[in-house]
Amino acid sequence: MRQPPKLRPTLWDFLTALCVAALAVIVAVFQWRGGQTQGLTAVVSVDGAEVDRVFLGYAAGEKTYQAGDYTLTVEYDQDGAQVLASDCPTRDCVHTGTITRSGQSIVCLPGRFILHLEGGAADPNAIDAVLG
Amino acid sequence: MKRLTAYVLGISLLLAGCGGPVDPDKAQESIQVIAMDTAMLITTYGERSPAAAYAAEDIIRDLEDCLSRTIETSDVSRLNAAGGEAVEVGEDLRFLLREAARLSAETKGAFDITVAPVASAWGFTTDSFRVPSQEELDTLLKLVDYSAVYDRDGPSADSPAVSLGPGQSIDLGAIVKGYAAGKIVGILREYEVPRANINLGGNVLVWGSRPDGTPWRVGIQDPARPDDKNALAGVLELTDSFAVTSGGYQRYFEENGKRYHHIINPATGYPADSGLASVTVAAPAGSQALWNGTMCDAYSTALFVMGEEKALDFWRDHQDGGSPFELVLVTEDSRVIVTGGLADRFTLDENSGYTCETVSYETAS
Repeated sequence: MRQPPKLRPTLWDFLTALCVAALAVIVAVFQWRGGQTQGLTAVVSVDGAEVDRVFLGYAAGEKTYQAGDYTLTVEYDQDGAQVLASDCPTRDCVHTGTITRSGQSIVCLPGRFILHLEGGAADPNAIDAVLG
Repeated sequence: MKRLTAYVLGISLLLAGCGGPVDPDKAQESIQVIAMDTAMLITTYGERSPAAAYAAEDIIRDLEDCLSRTIETSDVSRLNAAGGEAVEVGEDLRFLLREAARLSAETKGAFDITVAPVASAWGFTTDSFRVPSQEELDTLLKLVDYSAVYDRDGPSADSPAVSLGPGQSIDLGAIVKGYAAGKIVGILREYEVPRANINLGGNVLVWGSRPDGTPWRVGIQDPARPDDKNALAGVLELTDSFAVTSGGYQRYFEENGKRYHHIINPATGYPADSGLASVTVAAPAGSQALWNGTMCDAYSTALFVMGEEKALDFWRDHQDGGSPFELVLVTEDSRVIVTGGLADRFTLDENSGYTCETVSYETAS
């Protein structure tokens, strides 16, 4: 009976194995990074729907949002965010000033607008919620 | 070469599998909700966190539809418009009317949902602020009487109808968010949520502990600096708890140089002037959640109206009961008073300028 030919790995086999290994490393690194804390990020929602997400690490400058009948101008920088101007009746959003910590929010109730900070470096002394 | 290829593939599979099962603390959902005239943030953890967060939102929306004074079709609006006639209402309103009556009796009227016509006269319902005349207040105060709210058929009746006294109206704003927080505890249990941070516009429910195992850190806004989000009177470290703060700084208007805030004393018809700047009430969420959440909300208003001395007497009187609660009082003369059960869980903010006193069950120190 004829013996089957003896298979020998070729250069292509070696390259294929290397590609698989490289892909696995990329996937693993992606998963590890995904579990770590992301940078401080401003999440903007209007009437319950997320309309913008700004990573403050790269942020500098102003953005304008339409919230119902009102227009709000938000200034972002690496440290935080503030509403510079709003034509809403109460302007509580403007009076809130600059927020800088994860968990803090700026709210415009007439416009149903919320800007909320999340992420950032883990801080055991961070405040999780504020009463009042 | 074969062996080398096997090693490479084996290591590859090992690396790719390093993600493993989903860590429940990293399965997190955070949603923002505007309802009940405030902004809310619901953060839940665990594998079923998205479903739990949206179920909590559904509860809030349903309660708002049923209990809002400004939604024409709500049970409360229909009751207020009925001119004293009996109206069939849902179980949520019936429960709250019963509990409100109990809370009003306990607090000797310092908490009273029938103060609504007076609050409206001040414009706090419509943001059309004004100072009513004493004559107008005297007339409206005759309508403030929680005992006139009547559950016609009794709490166990099949035909649930309730009525108000002629001319009366009610506002559940000082109780409904606490009740919502209590109902949300049921959702957290149903969806096996291990930890959550539910902030219903400053009305907070913390469930479990933080992901790192430490208690949640809940700040109390400095009432002297309400516009500074970073200004705190102190920080509470809490697990499985409700915490609610009421203060005159939260909503007010000024006329002729005088400030008028939204917490109306049902006895005088005027904004409460008790020497307190804010009252924080905390209670366990692990048991009697519906009652404890509702209680915290109502007590924070009632004790603000009562003032320091009566509030502390009230706290002492309730320590032997089935629903213990604890207090942090901030006074207008820059003191922070912490009741014994929170003494080791409260840290004064060093930058606040307040002094801190701890009050024990028996005596003040």
